[in-house]
Amino acid sequence: MPATDRSSPQMVLTEDQAFDLLAFLFSAAEISLVEPTYYGTFRLVDAASRLMGFMLEHDPERSREFLHRFKEEVDTKKVWMMWDREAYYDFLRAAPAIVAAELKRLDEEAALESEATTP
Amino acid sequence: MNGSLAQLSPEQLLALLKSRRVCRSFTADPVSDEQLRLMTEAARWATSAGNRHVHKFLIVRDPEVIHRVRAVSPGMLTAPPALIAILTDLDKAERESLQMEHDHANWMDVGTAAMNMMNMAHALGLGSCPVTSFSRSGAAVMLGLPPHLTPEWLLIVGHPAPVPPPRRLSVNAPKPVTARDLTWWEQPGRHDP
Repeated sequence: MPATDRSSPQMVLTEDQAFDLLAFLFSAAEISLVEPTYYGTFRLVDAASRLMGFMLEHDPERSREFLHRFKEEVDTKKVWMMWDREAYYDFLRAAPAIVAAELKRLDEEAALESEATTP
Repeated sequence: MNGSLAQLSPEQLLALLKSRRVCRSFTADPVSDEQLRLMTEAARWATSAGNRHVHKFLIVRDPEVIHRVRAVSPGMLTAPPALIAILTDLDKAERESLQMEHDHANWMDVGTAAMNMMNMAHALGLGSCPVTSFSRSGAAVMLGLPPHLTPEWLLIVGHPAPVPPPRRLSVNAPKPVTARDLTWWEQPGRHDP
């Protein structure tokens, strides 16, 4: 199903939140020129955490519980990069599947809702 | 050694140094003028190559400014109640005939001032965290710096939040480094006298 077809509630960043994220991403890109290469993964994960924080400020009904739980997990595990890199890498390998499963759940929920409202 | 120094034994000093940890989570309690003055006083007494003192310490407590600085500081994982930016005064450096691109002493002076501030923060019961991962150009804008002042290093400081949950260590995680690991006697590789 194309993403544009899915009945997803509109949830946008405020201008201030979007600029915060832009400033963070461009700053992370700049300092990636001089930092150890694996720090780049950390910056991406941290940006994802910040994005989840902004999403939670909109209190999204369908994904609130997931976002709250997963952001907490991300914030706990991202800092493993500094003292237990292998455990951190294991988390990086696991994280996409966690997000994918939630996305799939949202898709299925939306499909069910769509069926229920179709005359 | 004067009287006041005699009251601090080497063991007490080492205990203070060993018990300091980087703090990445703070309460909302403010950091007082006096605490920040003591931290910059400690920084002033750090070693300074050639007694040049080309650095300035900019204290910031305005939450809006801190929020903006954090936006260009990926290494600042939390918004603190206060931050201290160590700046290089390029005008002063020029007057001192420093060759900034090649002068490593400049960086060492930043480090010694920073360490003194972190130890003073710890002695005051505060938590602190050094931030080196930030955009120099972005931070200069957010801090409203004139062109002759360049930010070298940020220290975030505040009252420590309750201790975070214990960290997980995998089976293959590296063991903590000891002083012996880092020390050689008389020749490289000899760890004992």
